[in-house]
Amino acid sequence: MKTIAKYYPTIAIVLWGLCCFSFFQFCYPYHFFFQEQNQLFLWSWDYVAEYFNKTGGLALLIGDFLTQFYYFLYIGATILTICLLLIGVLLYHSLCKFRTSRWFALVLSLLVTTFLAVCHFSTSYRLSSTISVLGWMLVLWLIAMLYTKNKKRAILGLVCILLPSYLLFGLPQVKTIQKPDLILEKNFAVDCEYYFGNHEKVIKMVEGSDKWTDEMIFFYNLVQAQHGQLPDNLLKFTPTILGTFYQIGPDTPMLTIRNMNELYWALGDMTFTERAAMMTNVFSHNNRNVRMMKRLAECNFVSGDSLAAEKYLRILDKTLVYDKWADMVRKNGKSIYRQKIAMVNHHDTITISDNAHFLMMQLLDANPDNTTALDYILCSDLLLKDITNFKRDYDRYCMDTQKPRLKKLYQEALCIWLAGSDATQEEWQRYIQSNDVLQQFMQYNDQRGNPHFQGTYWYYFDKIKAPEI
Amino acid sequence: MRIISIICVAILFLSSCTPSPQDVVKQDELPPIYPDYCDVTIPQNIAPLNFLLRADCEAIEVKAGEICLNARGNEAVFDMDEWKELLKQHTGETLDVTVTALINGQWKEYKTFNWQIAADKIDPYITYRLIEPDYEIWNNVQIQQRCVENFDISAIGHYEKLENRCMNCHTFANQDPNLSMMYVRGPGGGAILNKNGQLSKLNIPGSVYFGFSPSGRYITYSTQKIIPAFHSLASKRLEVYDAASNVFVADMQEHRVISSPLLSDSLKFETFPTFSPDGKYIYYCSADSVSLPQDIKQLQYKLVRISFNEKTGEIGNKVDTLFAGRSVCHPRVSPDGRFILFTVADYGTFPIWHPEADLQMINLQTGAIDTLTIVNSQKSDTYHSWSSNSRWFVFASKRDDGLYGKPYFCYIDKDGKAHKPFCLPQKYPTFYDNNLKSFNAPELGKGQVPFDVDDVAKAMKKDAIPFK
Repeated sequence: MKTIAKYYPTIAIVLWGLCCFSFFQFCYPYHFFFQEQNQLFLWSWDYVAEYFNKTGGLALLIGDFLTQFYYFLYIGATILTICLLLIGVLLYHSLCKFRTSRWFALVLSLLVTTFLAVCHFSTSYRLSSTISVLGWMLVLWLIAMLYTKNKKRAILGLVCILLPSYLLFGLPQVKTIQKPDLILEKNFAVDCEYYFGNHEKVIKMVEGSDKWTDEMIFFYNLVQAQHGQLPDNLLKFTPTILGTFYQIGPDTPMLTIRNMNELYWALGDMTFTERAAMMTNVFSHNNRNVRMMKRLAECNFVSGDSLAAEKYLRILDKTLVYDKWADMVRKNGKSIYRQKIAMVNHHDTITISDNAHFLMMQLLDANPDNTTALDYILCSDLLLKDITNFKRDYDRYCMDTQKPRLKKLYQEALCIWLAGSDATQEEWQRYIQSNDVLQQFMQYNDQRGNPHFQGTYWYYFDKIKAPEI
Repeated sequence: MRIISIICVAILFLSSCTPSPQDVVKQDELPPIYPDYCDVTIPQNIAPLNFLLRADCEAIEVKAGEICLNARGNEAVFDMDEWKELLKQHTGETLDVTVTALINGQWKEYKTFNWQIAADKIDPYITYRLIEPDYEIWNNVQIQQRCVENFDISAIGHYEKLENRCMNCHTFANQDPNLSMMYVRGPGGGAILNKNGQLSKLNIPGSVYFGFSPSGRYITYSTQKIIPAFHSLASKRLEVYDAASNVFVADMQEHRVISSPLLSDSLKFETFPTFSPDGKYIYYCSADSVSLPQDIKQLQYKLVRISFNEKTGEIGNKVDTLFAGRSVCHPRVSPDGRFILFTVADYGTFPIWHPEADLQMINLQTGAIDTLTIVNSQKSDTYHSWSSNSRWFVFASKRDDGLYGKPYFCYIDKDGKAHKPFCLPQKYPTFYDNNLKSFNAPELGKGQVPFDVDDVAKAMKKDAIPFK
């Protein structure tokens, strides 16, 4: 029995490690991706040397170095678990060397590692803080080793090692205890899957969820728009979020700015894509964000600014994770971004506002084939129940160009305009191509607001509150 | 002892392994070095021009005078003492520089270029603001001071000490470190005036761009309502214009503001004022107001001047036009009064995002205009400041990537001829490649400013001195 008891601490620590890994890997994996994307680590001597200008430089360096590998599946949870286990083991052994009870040492070690794991629930808590704790635990363990041999030497060792340790490891950040933010995790999940290009997965995640956040709906719509299906799915979730009513200002949260960057990129506005990417950078860890580095390289490549694109590609060359991506863009960028390049606006106008409606009009005036911008502009009008502007935009970009966009949603909205303006039979025939819609419209008029018509634009128009802008 | 021996052996082993050129093949092209230091004129007191070769090379050899530098990789980093000695030995001379690189197992010797080492020194310090090129929002802004004779940097405005506020340009009076001013924005902000290291906070209403009079008693400044606007053409990016702007003079002794109807005409935009070195004129830019933003391309600023009496503080009553044709920004008169350097752009008042923005120089004695072809690039070249001896100026250029401004130094010889400029050297040649901040509004100074970040933070807590 005594022999088994000897292994209890090891068993407890291993079990704790398994729980920790499982939680972070299976319940919180997208937080790691967020951390990885929200920093930039360069394998360059001048960049690395910068770390040592700050107190705790070594901890910051190791933390940021390891964080870049969060890009790979399972690695985030593995790195974090190993770091926390090392802290636990070092603390446990140190306390044992100081002749505290093994059980007390075990409980305290597990409490400390659990507290640190809880700190990692927060997006602003960085791995470097845990590395800093690990560094101090190593110091404690060394002192404990000396202590067992010679107490005086241990005290002398402590005095000698304190300042260098402070310079290398600094003081760890401490967070107030918080619950895991599983809603944010869901937001990160759709955001990351969108970023990784797993559009089908985004749709499945949102449609399979029982609760939706604005962020989830935003990415759902963004995916649908790029597949030409925004009008087919716009009213699937209400209230729905397009992002076209946001404007970026000094108080806009970083995540919103980053989402706007994705929206502008999808729409094809490279001026605003670059602006939102720069702004996201400004509010990222050390004003650097690897995801935005990629985007800045991409948008400058698309807009034909090869010098600016090369600036960012050179930076990415120095990363251990994205160097191949940078190479690929250099070699195959023209074919990868062929569609985007074709949609670039070559007309110069100037505006003092980042009003998305105006931006989309500019994009469509330059390229009427920009279906993503077309659906976003029409759907934005419809969300606001602005039938007059919807009709104006529909005429300008669909009827005048002789490319009517025959989507059920638009046909339903056109019925409202035609009915409200006492349109002639000719006009009805010109706009409404679907007999089903026409018949359904007549039925709806007899039963306005009937939940049976939920999902039609008529029901939205009558019953659902439009977003306030 | 054993560890030290191992380290020494390892260092010796590594250094002995640096290959030296053999079977060299001569190339008829200049080496693709970055920053571009080929055929530049440099002052005798500049820090080592460390550079890298934009090639996938295994080793590099650089021969410059008595220096023969051999290194693995593509970076040429000079020893500070050897560099200083080299410049001392060759001051006033032209030095040949030969770069040989080991590429794909073959040593290639590039065409020799030269460094002309001017005997005229440059002011040893520059101050600049480090900020992302998109100026609409900010985070972690710093104003730094760098000694150009070495690589020492100190912060004189740091976000950590100043509640992450926005800070604007730091400007010297006559390049004198004992008289200078900078702005710290936001609630409770103001102009921080440095007089021999004593800092005070001033509330000069609406002041944006400013310049000191030679005596330091006055500053001339502009007030503007700044509007950011966006171009739909991605390569043009941001435009900034003034919805209104006027020029004033502030008496720093009596804390009063002096105005003139000629400098605050509601039908004109007046901006970028600066005193002449004798204090007899205020040079500034003036444009007829147009409907903005739609008529931005018609917004043309002229270079004008108005007389000023430093004894009485009176502004003259006649405005003379010196230059018109393209839109002028940032006029700066050389301390010897011979030249006026300014930026020209196709239109507007914010040349930072105008790739066509170039520097030009008027000889105030002859009226001749130098378009400074050797100085300008395909991207924005602007925001300049003179060295106290009038032989050097620094300016911010976006020539490398069109986005991030870097300080470039240009030599003006005794005949008024401009030489090819060079970029501020850095300790690590990869610095600019990795850097994601613009060097904004570089200003040359004769010495180190006698205050630091903590002094600025303390000054910020003081009550601002109001101006009447």
